Amino acid sequence: MMGEVILEAKEICKYFGGLKAVEKVDMQVEKGDIFGIIGPNGAGKTTFFNICSGIYQPTSGDILFNGESIINQRPEHIAKKGMARTFQNIKLFKNMSVLENIKIGFHNRTKTTMFDAIIRNKKYRVDEEVIVREGIAILEKVGLSEYRDTLAGNMAYGLQRRVEIARALALDPQIILLDEPAAGMNPMETHALMTFIQNINKEGYTIVVIEHDMKFIMSMANKVLVLNFGQKIAEGTPEQVKQDEEVIVAYFGKGLDLGGGH
Amino acid sequence: MRTDEMRNDIPKTSFWRRQMSGVRDFGKGIFDKIKAIYEKRKLQINLIIILLLLVFPYLARSNYIMGIACRMLMYSVLAGSLNVINGYSGQFNIGHAGFFLIGAYTEAIFATQFGISFWPLLAVSGAFAAIVGFLISLPTLRLRGIYLAIVTLGFSEILRVIALNWSSVTGGAMGIKSIPSPTFFGMTISNSSNYYYIFLFIAILFLAVTGRVLKSRVGRAWISIREDEAAARSLGVETRFYKSINFMYGAFWAGVAGAAFAPYYRFIASDMFTLDEGFNILSMVIIGGQGTLVGPLVGSIIVNLITEVFRFAARYRMVVYATLIIVMMWWRPQGLVGAYDSVFAIKKSQRKPVRMASAKEAGEE
Amino acid sequence: MEYFIAQIVNGLAQGSIYALMAIGYSVVVGVVGLVTFTHGEVIMLGAYASYYAFTFVGENIFLGIIAAFFASWFIGIFVYKICYERFFDSPRHISLICTIGMSMLLKNLAQIVFGPNMKAMPQPIALNFVNVLGVRINTIQILIIFVVLSLSLGLYIVNNKTQWGIRLRAVSQDKQASALMGINVRRTAMIGNSIGCSLGGVAGMLIAIYYQSILPTMGGSLGLKAFSSAVLGGLTEASASALGGLLIGLIENLGTSVLSNSYRDVFAFIFLVLVLIIKPEGFSKKVGG
Repeated sequence: MMGEVILEAKEICKYFGGLKAVEKVDMQVEKGDIFGIIGPNGAGKTTFFNICSGIYQPTSGDILFNGESIINQRPEHIAKKGMARTFQNIKLFKNMSVLENIKIGFHNRTKTTMFDAIIRNKKYRVDEEVIVREGIAILEKVGLSEYRDTLAGNMAYGLQRRVEIARALALDPQIILLDEPAAGMNPMETHALMTFIQNINKEGYTIVVIEHDMKFIMSMANKVLVLNFGQKIAEGTPEQVKQDEEVIVAYFGKGLDLGGGH
Repeated sequence: MRTDEMRNDIPKTSFWRRQMSGVRDFGKGIFDKIKAIYEKRKLQINLIIILLLLVFPYLARSNYIMGIACRMLMYSVLAGSLNVINGYSGQFNIGHAGFFLIGAYTEAIFATQFGISFWPLLAVSGAFAAIVGFLISLPTLRLRGIYLAIVTLGFSEILRVIALNWSSVTGGAMGIKSIPSPTFFGMTISNSSNYYYIFLFIAILFLAVTGRVLKSRVGRAWISIREDEAAARSLGVETRFYKSINFMYGAFWAGVAGAAFAPYYRFIASDMFTLDEGFNILSMVIIGGQGTLVGPLVGSIIVNLITEVFRFAARYRMVVYATLIIVMMWWRPQGLVGAYDSVFAIKKSQRKPVRMASAKEAGEE
Repeated sequence: MEYFIAQIVNGLAQGSIYALMAIGYSVVVGVVGLVTFTHGEVIMLGAYASYYAFTFVGENIFLGIIAAFFASWFIGIFVYKICYERFFDSPRHISLICTIGMSMLLKNLAQIVFGPNMKAMPQPIALNFVNVLGVRINTIQILIIFVVLSLSLGLYIVNNKTQWGIRLRAVSQDKQASALMGINVRRTAMIGNSIGCSLGGVAGMLIAIYYQSILPTMGGSLGLKAFSSAVLGGLTEASASALGGLLIGLIENLGTSVLSNSYRDVFAFIFLVLVLIIKPEGFSKKVGG
C-alpha cells in the first residue's frame, strides 16, 4: 500500500464571481488510501470534489489522475479513466430498478452499438450476459440482492446510498469519490456503512470521502485533509489532525470533545 | 408564506383533488394486469395481433376504414419516433413535423424528378431526416431542454417556409403532384387497402427495432440521461453523443413515415406540415403516454378516432386536442398508459400546493 | 444609401415592437420561473382586443392601448391559473406542455371566434412623413417608438420605485426566500405574469397597426421572435432582451432587402441559433427558465 500517487490536486482555486469557494488546495491521494476530507458546511468540500470529477473547471490549478492532467475534460471522460463518484444529494435513477441502475454503471465496459442491438448479434448477447452476471455479483457483494427489482426511488435512504456506491463499483474504477455518504443516516446505518467502505477498500479500491461527521472520518481514514473557508488548514493522519492547533481553533472551537461527533 | 394563507389554499384545490383521485387511479390495476399477461405470453400474443392485423383489410372490406387504419399506423410511427426523443431521452422536440416534411419531400422529389423506386427511397428519406436531426441537435447539446424545444419549433417552421418558397425544387405553393405509387413485384400499390400493408410493415419494423434498441446499452444510456444527466455523466455516458444519436434516430423514423406518406397521398404541399401538425403528433405522444412503447400507439388511435368523430366540425378538432393536452397535464401527466412511477408523473410530494421551487433550483441545468 | 437608412429606421421601429414583446416575455419567465409558449397567442389576443376597440368604440390610440393591456392582463390570469399555479413543484416539462396546449387552444379558438382570415387593422393615427435630421420617419413609427419607450419606462418605475416592484424582483430572485419574508408568492407571480402578458398585448396592437392587418395565426412567429430576443437576456433580463428585439428588427429589415421578403421569419431563427452557439446563457447573471 505504499507510495504511488493516484490522484493529485495542485493549487486548485475556484472562484464564483467574488466568492472564493476553493483557494489553493493541494491534495495527494495514494493508491489504497481511505482519504478523508472534512470541514464545516460551506468549506468548499463539494466544490472541490466537483472539480476533481470534472463537473466544474477550476479557476486555476491542476488535477492529475495517474499522473495525467484531467483539467478541461468532461465528467464522462474522467469516469472512463477510472474515477467513480457518488453525490451528496443522492442521484439515483429513481424510476428504474436497482439492477437497471447498476446496468448503466457498466456502460463503459461494454461496447454494444445500436446496430448490434438491432440484429442481436453475439456481441450484444455476450455484453448483456456479462452485465447481468456481474451486476448480480455486485448486488450480492453490497448485500442488496433482495432489492434487485425494487425501484431505486422507493428504497430507504441508507439503502439508496448503498445502491449509489454499488453503481459506482460497476464502473470498476480505480478510485471512488464519496460525497457525504453518511448524511441522513442513523448511527447503526453509519456503522454498517463504515464497515462496508473498509471492505471495498480492502478489495483494492482507493477511496476519497467527504464527511462532516468527525467520528466517521477519524476512525476510518488513514489520511485527512481539513478545509475551512475554501482553504486547506491541515493535512495528515487522523492523530496529527486532531492535535493541530489551527484545526482545533478554527474548526472545532475550543473545549469540544473531538471524539464525540460533530 | 403565512400559515393562514396556506390553510386558505388547501381546501380550494382539495375539492377537485378528491374528485379526481378516484379517476386518477383508474386503470392502475388494469394496465398492470394486461402487462403481466402480455409479458407471460409475449410471442403468442404478438403473433395473434400481427395475424389479425394482416387479415384486417379482408374483414373491414372498406376503403374508408382502411384509410383510417393507414393514418393510425402512420401516426403511430410518427408519434412513436417522437416518443423516442421526448419520452426516452428526455429531450424536448416539438417540431417533429419538420422531419416528417423532410421525409415526404425527399421521397417526392427523388421519385418525380429522378424516377427512383419507392423502397430504397424509404431509407434515403430517413437518412436525410436523420442528418437534419443531427444538425438541429448540434447547437443545443449543451443547453437545457427549452432551447432545444424552441429550436425544433423554429426549424420546423423554417423548413416549411423554404418548402413554400423554393419553387424550383419543391413546387412552391403548388406542392408536388402525381407522386408515383410504389410497386411490389409488378403490382401497383395505390388504394388504402393495399397501402395498409406498407404502413403496417413500417410500424411493425419500427416497434421491433425500437424495442430492441431500448433494451440495449444504447437505450439505457438514453433513459439514464432522461432520469439524471449529471449521474449519467458520472458513470461515463457520453451524453452529447447519445443525445445526438437519439435525435437522429427519432428523425430517421419520422422521415421514413414521411416517405411512405407522400406516395400514399400522391400530392404534398408545404401547408400539410405546419406547426399544428407537429403539435398534433405531440398530442398523441402526451395523451398516450411518454416513455412507453405502447403509449404513442394508443395516442395515435385515440386522436385519429377523435378526428373522425369531429369530421363534421373539423375546425374544432384542434381545440379538442388542445383541451385534451391540458386535461392530461392536470389529470395524468404521464399519459393514459404511462406508469405512476415515471419522471412524467407528478409525485405525491410534488402535489403540495404551498412549497415553491426556488428560482435557483429552477435555473439548474 | 437612402434606401439603406430607410431600412434601418424600419428595423428600429419594428425592432422596438419586438423589444416590447421580449421585455414582456422576460418578465413572465423571470417572475413565474417557468417558460411559456403562450406568449405569441397573448400578443395576438391583445391585438384583437384593440382591433375590436377601434372598430366598435372609436379609433383612439389610448383606447386601443387600454383594451390591449387589460385584455392581455386577464388572459394572463387565465394562463397562470391553468398552466402555472398547480405546477410550480412538478417536473418542469408539465407546465411547458400545458402552455403548448394553451397556445393551441387560444389560437384555434381565435380562428373560430374571430374568423380565420386576415382583417384590415384600423389606423388610429394618420400616416404622415416627418423629416427628422434629414431622415424620413412616418408618424406610425414615431407612435410605436413613443409607446414602447413610455411602457418600458413605466415598467422600470414599477420595478424600482414601488412596493410591487420590490416584491416582483424578490419573487423572481428566490421564491422560497420571498415566501419566508411574508410575500404572497402566488399572487405576486400571477401579477408579474399579467404585467408581462400586457406588455406583449400592447406590442401585438402595435405590430398589427404597423402591418395594417391582423390574423389569428400571427402569434406563432411573433412568439418565436419574442423568445429569440429574450434568449439574449438569458430569458429573464429585460434590458438585454429589449436589445435582442431591436437587433432582430434590424437584421430582419436589412436581411429582407437582400433576400426575398418571404424569408422574413428565418432571420429571427438564425439570430436565435447564433446566440445559442456563441453565448448560450445570454447576458444575464441569473439563469432563467
